[in-house]
Amino acid sequence: MKINKTLKGLLAMVVMAFATAMPATAAKWDDKMSPQEVEAVLDKKFVEGKYSPKGADSCLMCHRKGEGVMDIFKGPHGDMTHSKGPMAGLQCEACHGPMGSHNRGGKEPMITFGSESSLSPEKQNSVCMSCHQDDERMNWNGGHHDNADVACADCHNIHVAKDPVLEKQTEVAVCTNCHTKQKADLHKRSAHPMKWAEMTCSDCHNPHGTLAEADLNKPSINKSCYECHAEKRGPKLWEHAPVTENCVSCHNPHGSVNDGMLKTRAPQLCQQCHASDGHASAAYLGNTPFGGEVGNNAFTGGRSCLNCHSQVHGSNHPSGKLLQR
Amino acid sequence: MKANLNLITLALLAASSSAMAAETETKQVVSYGLAHANTAKVKFAAWKCGRCEANTGTEGTITVGVGYADADDVHAANALGTDDTFAYKLNADVGYKSESGYQAEFNALNLGMDSSRAELSAGKAGQYDINLNYRTIKTYTTDDALTPYQGVGGNDLTLPSNWVTAGTTDGMTMLATSLNPVELSLKRERAGIGFNLEGDSLWSTYVDYQRENKTGLKTASGSFFNQSMMLAEPVDYTTDILEAGIKLRGDYWFTALSYSGSVFKNEYSVLAFDNAFNPTFGAQTRGYMALDPDNEAHTVSLAGVYNDGTMSLQGRAYLGQMSQDEPLVTSGYGYQLPAEAVDAQVDLTGIDTRVTYRLTRSLRLQGSYDYYDRDNQTQVEEWTQISINNVNGTVAYNVPYDHSRHRAKLQADYRITSGVKLDGGYEYRRDDRSYQDREVTDENNLWARLNYTSLENWDFRLKADYGMRDGSRFQASELTSTENNELLRRYNLADRQRTAFEFTVTHTPVDTVTLDLSTRYALDDYDETEIGLTESEDFSYDLSLSWQAGKDLLLTAFYGAQTIESQQNGSSNFSGPTWTSNIEDEFSYIGAGARYDNLMADKLTLGVDYNYGDSKSNTQVTQGITGSYGDYYSRSHSLNLYGEYLISEQATLRMDYRMEKYKDNDPANSIAPDDIWNVLSFGNLNHDYNAHLVMVSLQYKL
Repeated sequence: MKINKTLKGLLAMVVMAFATAMPATAAKWDDKMSPQEVEAVLDKKFVEGKYSPKGADSCLMCHRKGEGVMDIFKGPHGDMTHSKGPMAGLQCEACHGPMGSHNRGGKEPMITFGSESSLSPEKQNSVCMSCHQDDERMNWNGGHHDNADVACADCHNIHVAKDPVLEKQTEVAVCTNCHTKQKADLHKRSAHPMKWAEMTCSDCHNPHGTLAEADLNKPSINKSCYECHAEKRGPKLWEHAPVTENCVSCHNPHGSVNDGMLKTRAPQLCQQCHASDGHASAAYLGNTPFGGEVGNNAFTGGRSCLNCHSQVHGSNHPSGKLLQR
Repeated sequence: MKANLNLITLALLAASSSAMAAETETKQVVSYGLAHANTAKVKFAAWKCGRCEANTGTEGTITVGVGYADADDVHAANALGTDDTFAYKLNADVGYKSESGYQAEFNALNLGMDSSRAELSAGKAGQYDINLNYRTIKTYTTDDALTPYQGVGGNDLTLPSNWVTAGTTDGMTMLATSLNPVELSLKRERAGIGFNLEGDSLWSTYVDYQRENKTGLKTASGSFFNQSMMLAEPVDYTTDILEAGIKLRGDYWFTALSYSGSVFKNEYSVLAFDNAFNPTFGAQTRGYMALDPDNEAHTVSLAGVYNDGTMSLQGRAYLGQMSQDEPLVTSGYGYQLPAEAVDAQVDLTGIDTRVTYRLTRSLRLQGSYDYYDRDNQTQVEEWTQISINNVNGTVAYNVPYDHSRHRAKLQADYRITSGVKLDGGYEYRRDDRSYQDREVTDENNLWARLNYTSLENWDFRLKADYGMRDGSRFQASELTSTENNELLRRYNLADRQRTAFEFTVTHTPVDTVTLDLSTRYALDDYDETEIGLTESEDFSYDLSLSWQAGKDLLLTAFYGAQTIESQQNGSSNFSGPTWTSNIEDEFSYIGAGARYDNLMADKLTLGVDYNYGDSKSNTQVTQGITGSYGDYYSRSHSLNLYGEYLISEQATLRMDYRMEKYKDNDPANSIAPDDIWNVLSFGNLNHDYNAHLVMVSLQYKL
């Protein structure tokens, strides 16, 4: 059916975009039912609550040899000693929904997850969020990934011993599958050290959404930067106004072709805001046919404006108004 | 079918979809969450799990590696992970679980290398856990910064006793024989401990503490009037962070009260340095620079969410305070201080709220409002400025900047059919600032995004964004910028029209091949600016290919390019524009990888990863004639060849060869220490090297 095809198209995008670790295949009912029909059946089953007679044993009777099924027991979701985990409650059916008549040939839909599931990401996620509504995920609704229809299972895989996105060594690779601009950015002349996972995306961002811009872990951009750059926090006696307001006024934290992750190098960067009468207003031409050289004067050579105004992040010296000492 | 898809088909599809949606609307379940589950008929007594696996005991892997590095520039250690010739590392991923549920885990990554991390945790799932963690990051700038100063590493930099001062750098006759190379690098070392405790259902609590030491040297400049010396500033910072909180939860709600405190200490509060030049104004032979002061920041926040599946109400309120009372530098100052320490304090207040509401199966609405306030409480005092600063002993008043922001957003997403989704929104932002050229800015932003995934092998996404910023009248006051050109419009305050587009297409010609193309364009037009940044244009695109060429062979390729062009005007006669500057930043990136698994009877894996980054920036300034800022670039090739061989069920041998070929240039610093008459520089800081690392590691499976 057309609807089926269109939804598969949507799902294909998610597959490609996130390259999930779990090799999922479409459920057998997807060939015979539209996604709407599948969802209607799942809704009905969920309301009826016809859970299995024996819990996980009922499921494993058929599924124990399925790919990755038994791997659930290697991770926290299959931990039988976890007092709040699925195994202490509705077991497999906590996530996959009531068995109903599914055991009669497996044709009746169950809740499935990941890119090949015909169920909407929102509906899939409602299962996960019912347990994972905590301080890390409380702002999922309305967050960047929620708005982009990302399902939890697009990034996470729970039928494994180790979820790749939770491994620091592979986290950046998972995120940059979609965030391709950032993938390139980290190879610029200056960038935070992420090429070899010294830092990872989640050091600054919460992929599950926050109430801050860009889903930052901390309430503001500057507070995020101060987490590691506390020396810039001050407050200093002589503040540099844009520094106190927004680090991103001058820096691009994802990387820059300029040193210091600066959006523009001095003196141009400084001259975009400083045009007092005298040396700040002058045109510094750099290399010219008349003998001018970038490297032969204090205005463009060495550290340019910072040769004298070294304390661009603020000064705590009583005579530091011009950020020189 | 897909080829025939047109607008009419789309319309029919939309209509049929809406009808179907309406039909099922009444029966729809909003959430499959456990709180909604109907478990009345479950006979838990009969539930046993004979087929479940307990997976108790110890399992995991431990890897030890030894390596040999060949590099003649310490900058290579950023890529190779070590500045030693011989390197070693320990990786571990070991877990233990007892039958009663006690668990312990040890993870380590690259322990022994420059950047590493490790974590040890133990506890009982769902009840409590304690963890110890450790992390290091080291970054290198150069090991060849040339300086005549002695005492590098400390905060008292002196010149050799036989130093001969001069009016210009080339007159410093002892310079050549006094120069020594120093390494500019920074190392972070962080250790922490954390504890979590969970109640049976309602509550949980946590406390985390970490200490980070950051040590090394970075560049600073000490100046006397118009003469300056590059200095190696010692970095010896200690930051303690304590976070603690209590969390409460119910079926539909969650709330958390948390505290976050950070205490920063700098081992050095002042950097003293000899004047390498002949003393000028004030006959200063020693200079003193105030280093970053010890400071503290504390935040208490209360956050909560209510979510019934249809509606989500989220909120957070926080109060914060940042303060410092570092005793002020008095050496070399010579004037009366109004206070011994600044006693600076900034109060932060924030409120963030968001509501999302699913109106129908196809339509969801969102709204949010944020408020942020930075209130600098620091007392304003008179501070006499040292005469050699060219302001001749004038009195200046410190300016405690305040800033507040209101931001409101409205957004809707509408699923036209299951493969076509349209969303869009409106954002409003107002910023109020004190002591600035413009005290109020207003920003309005509209955006729309279309996701089209109805075709079987193609997906498209288009986003358009338009924003407009204006605000109150520009008015220079004595405290802001009396000395600035009145036509200057600082880019963070100026009127701005922002237009942005993003387009992404994904194509899967066959199941095993994925092609992605993303393009982005953004134009910031500062249309009312005469002096300052007038325009910035950013265009980028990237292409990626992923091809599962066989069951065991994966090939990937990536190409990305970006150009950022900026224009600004200046005035050398303190009136209208007399000069312009054009800056063109260009970047391209190539990534490629191949991995072949299960060779030699499933025992061998071979792989290669290659990355190439090319950064360039070209600055041209025109005032009658046009000058350029030379060839500013960096080019890096990173190659990693690896092979993994399964020696036995337990043991895997891995061999890595890494090559880093790197070259950069900065014409501003392609100089000798005395090339600029009034700047005693670190000399040429460019890099050009080819470095290698061979590492052999053995992984043992427990």
